[in-house]
Amino acid sequence: MRTKTLLIRLVFCLTSLVCIRVAAAQANDVAVVVNDHNSVTKMSKAELRKIFAGEERSWAAGVPIRVFVRAPGTHERGALLKLLGMTENEYKQYWTSQVFRGEARAEPSTLPSNGMQREALAAFPGAVALVSIEDVKPGMKVLRVEGRMPGEAGYALN
Amino acid sequence: MRHITWTATVLLLLSSLCYPQDTTSTDPETIRQLVQQVNDLQERVKLLESQKKEFQQKESQQNHAGASTPTPPDPLAPPVESADQTASAPTVAQETRQVHGIQWRGFGEVDYKALNRRAPELGTYGFVPGSQANFYSGDFGLFLTSRLTDKASVLSEIVFEEADAQSYRLDLRRLLLKYDYNDHLKMSFGRYQTNIGYYNWAFRSAAWLQTTADRPLVMEFATNGGLLPTQAIGVSLTGSVPSGKLGLNYVAEYGSSDTVRPDLTGDRKVTDENNGNQVNVGFFLRPDPIPGLQIGASYYHDKISDFVQGPSLRYGQTIVNGYIVYVAHGIEFLNEGFLIRDAALHFSNAVFNTPAFYSQISKQFGHIRPFFRYQYVNASSNNLIYDDVGLRYGPSFGARYDLNEYVAFKAQLDHNVRRDEPDLNGLQLQLAFTF
Repeated sequence: MRTKTLLIRLVFCLTSLVCIRVAAAQANDVAVVVNDHNSVTKMSKAELRKIFAGEERSWAAGVPIRVFVRAPGTHERGALLKLLGMTENEYKQYWTSQVFRGEARAEPSTLPSNGMQREALAAFPGAVALVSIEDVKPGMKVLRVEGRMPGEAGYALN
Repeated sequence: MRHITWTATVLLLLSSLCYPQDTTSTDPETIRQLVQQVNDLQERVKLLESQKKEFQQKESQQNHAGASTPTPPDPLAPPVESADQTASAPTVAQETRQVHGIQWRGFGEVDYKALNRRAPELGTYGFVPGSQANFYSGDFGLFLTSRLTDKASVLSEIVFEEADAQSYRLDLRRLLLKYDYNDHLKMSFGRYQTNIGYYNWAFRSAAWLQTTADRPLVMEFATNGGLLPTQAIGVSLTGSVPSGKLGLNYVAEYGSSDTVRPDLTGDRKVTDENNGNQVNVGFFLRPDPIPGLQIGASYYHDKISDFVQGPSLRYGQTIVNGYIVYVAHGIEFLNEGFLIRDAALHFSNAVFNTPAFYSQISKQFGHIRPFFRYQYVNASSNNLIYDDVGLRYGPSFGARYDLNEYVAFKAQLDHNVRRDEPDLNGLQLQLAFTF
């Protein structure tokens, strides 16, 4: 009887642990947001990486993609670097190279706040940005990544 | 009751242990990033204040001129205009590199090279014959781009290159009118750097972008004794091909070049190839499952002549290239192979094959990136176009140290084995920078 009680307690503790872990991870999720009029609803992680690496530069409808990113040190920037597999220094060198190669016209615009990102999304039909889940506001269209919305278990970007 | 208390205590303890802690730490990198953020915000405030002043000045001018009182902005109106202003003004750093819509960037280098032989070799810029060690300044490049429309832009690269006796020659390395119809069709018209291989595409002509202090000989610019036609004037098309996870891209170029390459021996002879119109087609793959991997191949064809033998002696020149490159997670692994085939078109059936390859590996550790490169070129002694090149092979190793985002210091040791010539050992030191 004593062993059984202990076992139940252990299972309860472990389940709680997992739940807390999942909840914490979901709170850290970063949403991929686009202009409200963009017809895209989902994308794969590979497509996302290509867009933020400047390898894909237009949406399927032909509208040029405008990438907006947050400043170094922010949670969204961390998620971006994780997505690209680069350090901050490598990211800067990469974009200098891309511009110099003629593969990109300029480094993606860096905005100092998510409020500004929201304004940019509203202003540019081809805009795309990464926004922390808690900063997602009405007017931002959130895309599914690998079939999952931010906050769902197994979401790819955090 | 006792059990509930016990469970609650354990849960509380475990939760506090396993809940992700605030990642804020006091390590130098975090502090640096926070300082950078503060600086960015300060600059942003300055920018907004200056815009406000301009607005106030305009307003007072209008009032003085007796103009009607300007309508105060509607606080309930959607922030579309301000959003446009904000979004089209990227970072302050980007703004300072933009004058009247023209974005600019500069690249430069200062080098010191020492050899164990007094016989000069070209490809070393202002290297003085008879001296074993010299300073020189390599290429100084100004890179300008301007956006014309959402899809059209102009790109130019102006290079001041050190020549003999510390004189400088001006070279318009690239001048392109670009039109990106979509991801599948991007067109460029003007003077371009040929997409033969990966190196020419990836590093263009800025030493700062390269890991090593110099380019592999086969990829060196023709004006510095390199073997390939690195530049042409014409049309270049690139784009992606719908291919799913394969990530297939194509390159097609048609243009005219007129390659003049000085002999590597430093005898001041030059080979003017009097090229015809060149065709270059290629493809490369960037497979989705392995980000950073690029596999490509290209086929180039042209008709050239050796000026010494007379322009009537024409060769059909075919250059086949293949490469496998991996650049990700701080690793750079470049492998390229070439076969240059020169076949006489008149008076003889002579065919000369010149194989060449290089392999380069480096890994970033913090600010330092040690590298190793091995290169090989084997030109026939009877090949009149590359008679100065012969057989050359050997390793290079060294390290690149990034002092900051803009300046890199490189140190490189070279060992070069040459056919019928003594081995050549060299030390190269370079300060490469961008601004």
